[in-house]
Formats: sequence, structure tokens, C-alpha cells
Amino acid sequence: MSDREFAGQTAIVGIGGSDFARLYRTPDPDRTGEALATEAISEAIADAGLEKSQIDGLIAGGLAHYEPVAYRTGLTDVRFVADYPQAGRMCATALMHAATAVHHGLADYVVLFNSVVFRTQGTKFGAQPQGLLYDTIYGMASPGAQYSMGFTRYQAEYGGTEEQLGAIPVAIRSHARMTPGAIMTGEMTIDDYLAARYIAQPLRLFDYCLVNDGAVAYVVTTAERARDLARPPVLIAGTAGRANFREWYVDLGFWYEACQSMKADLFDPLGATADDIDCLQVYDNFSVSVLWGLEGFGFAPKGQGLEWVQDGRIALGGELPVNTSGGMLSESYLQGWNQHAEAVRQLRGQAGQRQIPDCDWSLYWCLSALPGASLLCRDGVL
Amino acid sequence: MSGEPGYAKPRPTVTHEDRDFWAAARQHRFVLPECRACGHVWFPPYACCPSCLSFDRGWTEASGRGTVWGFTIMRQPYIGSFEPELPYNVVLVELEEGPMVYSNLIGIDNADIACGLPVEAVFEDATDEITLIKFRPV
Repeated sequence: MSDREFAGQTAIVGIGGSDFARLYRTPDPDRTGEALATEAISEAIADAGLEKSQIDGLIAGGLAHYEPVAYRTGLTDVRFVADYPQAGRMCATALMHAATAVHHGLADYVVLFNSVVFRTQGTKFGAQPQGLLYDTIYGMASPGAQYSMGFTRYQAEYGGTEEQLGAIPVAIRSHARMTPGAIMTGEMTIDDYLAARYIAQPLRLFDYCLVNDGAVAYVVTTAERARDLARPPVLIAGTAGRANFREWYVDLGFWYEACQSMKADLFDPLGATADDIDCLQVYDNFSVSVLWGLEGFGFAPKGQGLEWVQDGRIALGGELPVNTSGGMLSESYLQGWNQHAEAVRQLRGQAGQRQIPDCDWSLYWCLSALPGASLLCRDGVL
Repeated sequence: MSGEPGYAKPRPTVTHEDRDFWAAARQHRFVLPECRACGHVWFPPYACCPSCLSFDRGWTEASGRGTVWGFTIMRQPYIGSFEPELPYNVVLVELEEGPMVYSNLIGIDNADIACGLPVEAVFEDATDEITLIKFRPV
């Protein structure tokens, strides 16, 4: 939803999440997906300054079964429940549905979470169950190989080098180094990026996101209720989606049309422009997703995104910081959920040494088979 | 090309939707589903026309010609049976008739593969039942 009446009527009022780095270094079998979700939910409710008894909506993501989380959190009698399959593409959708639910009174306070145990389970994003497009019989395997194929095409159409692409993971790594709980905090230079092995050429190791365990939860309510709570409200200015189901996964136009459609849904009712956005907290499953979104949403001229991201433009202190907590490339693969948590911290002014001065607006997108986007802002700027 | 007796790589799971497609490939014919109601040509061979939702499906011979839309060079052993071939290419071919198909490009060094390269289909018998459609530069 993204009409003017809906903009800013709902808010994220609490966030909670896991200690990703500790979980990564010392996997703990007792911290199951249900346990991690419970921790994150507990933290998010406390962060909002709410009593658990006030929560009357639950949206689950990432787990095979949501009911065990309801038992553990005592959220057994809520009025509104939804469950989403494990998929990063559902992140903006979950937020959209939470906001819609509280806006229309289906619930007063919805807690929503994503909990994943990819590392503990040994999840491989390799050969997928065979679809009718027969990719596996030709040795095609992994989402990264699909994005890699898209990048060879992009280079053929617009030029650009692998070294230029490296500016994206390098900038995002520099942010993770300032983020408590981020998984990958070692210094990374462009030489380190180029020295890493190819996975699906031309994409290298650091073009790929992490695979780890963890959970993130938020509490969503109406803006009116939000103003009585513990934290400065972070308003949901809009959410948008546009399916882009392609059997070959990567959109032939690099998601330009899907991005333009979502941008119009989010920006037009508010009269907003790309210039208004203070930071991007976006779905960096692969470095190229950032590149294509920058062009699709009109931050970088079409076909010139690789030049555009050079010279620190997307790093903290630059014109448009991207994934200021390290994103999924370096902080944690919570599939868009950790990006929203960072957006909330930035818009509340709680981002510590990563804080962007006067941060009013943060934009999220996920380019996938089901692209989604969200626009968050500080109270009072709409 | 003859099929290896112990073909170890993944094979298609043939279903009611694509049985005729694979039967044609076995005869070294490349066919695409074509709607008898609206004329739409599509791939992969779903039973129902995605354009008009008619189930009156026929088949048309594909030219076998197309161009390389994009490619990747696989460098890690995601699929064990492909490991001996690393690094190998996978291409996404845009057929002259419109549909996109995954395949491998043969008869060319990986370093020489380029987007836009004109290619044509070749048939590679994998097993007694399955013939894969691959491509080579024209």
C-alpha cells in the first residue's frame, strides 16, 4: 500500500535481533530457530516498551512451523496470524501485511519475525529442486550463478569491470567493521576482493552474502499509538511490490521496470524524489542486486551504476550510504530483516559511530522473483 | 554421440507436461508447445497455454537457432557429477521463436563465449531415453 492516506499511519516501534557474530563463531545447538525467534521477539517487545499481553498479532517467517514460537512466547491468543515461507523476498511483504493489519484494526500491535538456522542446518543454496526449465541437467546451480549470468549480460550491454563491482562489497564491509554483532569485520580492500576465488565467474566470493543463523523481530502498530511508546516512532511511509516471476530468475532488463513501478508506488503519492533519501538499506544477496536497484530506482543513471558507486559514494560519509550495518554481505544474512532493523536505528538516531547526520528517510528493496520495497521515515518529516 | 551407460548427471524428471518434448528430442527434433487456440509459443512445456489458458496444445518445430543472452562459468562443485568438468559453462539462450532455454555451449573455449553470439542446437544422447539439447556457435 502506498497511497497518501496510508503513508505514515503505521510505524515500527520495537526491534530485536540475535548476536550474529557469536552464533557464527560458536554455533549453539540449543539455540534453535524457535529459540532465536523467541529471543528476538522478547527483545523487540521490550524495546518498544510494551507488555507482552498487548501484542495481538503475529507474523512468522523463516521457520517450517510457527506454532512452537507462539507457545514459547505465550502469543497463543492473538487476533491476527500470518506465516510466510523461508524466503528473503517475503521481507517487505511481511511488513506490508503487518502495516495493513494494524491500519485496519485487525490487530493493535503485530510482532513479526524472521528466524533462520542456515548454518546449523548446513543449508546449501546450490542445486535447486528441478524446475521445468531443466537448468540442473546442464549443471546450472545456485542463485549466485543466475545473478552471475545477469552480470555477463549487463557488462555486454553497458561495459564496466569486475573491479568496479568490487566497490560495493568493499563499502559494505567497511560498515560492518563499525557494527556490533556483525559477522565479517576484517578489513577488505579492492585487492582482497579481486584475490578471492570465483564462485560462478564473473562473481567472486565477496559478491555473495553470508549463510548464517539468527533472528530479527519488529513490532508494528499505528503511528498514533507509536507516539505514546518508549522510542521515537519510525513511520512506514509506504510498501510496494511487483512480481517478476521468470523461470530463468534474472530479469532480462535487470529489474528496471519492477523498480520503476515500485518507485512510483512509493514516491509519487508523497512527491518524493531520489534526492530525499538519506540511506539505502537494501537486499544485498549479491553485489549486483545493489547495482541494479541503484539504476532501477533512479539513483544512478541507467547503465552507469558501476561508475556511480566508485570513490566512496555509497560508503558512510559519502553521498548515499548503502547498508550501513554491513548488510547481508558482511553483517548477517537475515534476508532483509537486518536491513530494516538498521534503518530503524538510523532513523531513531541510535546507530552510534555509523549514524548518518539528520537521517530522515531510508529505502529498502529486494530484487528477486518477487521484488518488494519499503520506505521508512522519521516522525514529522512526512 | 552415444549415451554413456552410467550417465551420472541429473536427468529431467519427465512428466505428463513434457513427455512429448523429450520424446521429440530423442528423435533429434527440437519442438516447442504451440497453442492451437491463440497461436502462442511457449517454453518450458506447461500443459496449458500461459497466454490464453487453453489446454489445446500442439507442437511446432523450433528452428534451433538463437543467441546467447548471458552465460556463467561454474567454478565450484555444486553438483558432484559435474565436478570433473569444472570450470564449465552454462548459457541462457534466447531462441529465435522467443523462449529462453538453459544449456551448455560446446565447440568453443569458455574464454570465447560472449553475449549475443549466434548459436544453433545440437543433440547429445545422454541415456537410452534422454537426449539433451545443447548449442554450438553458428
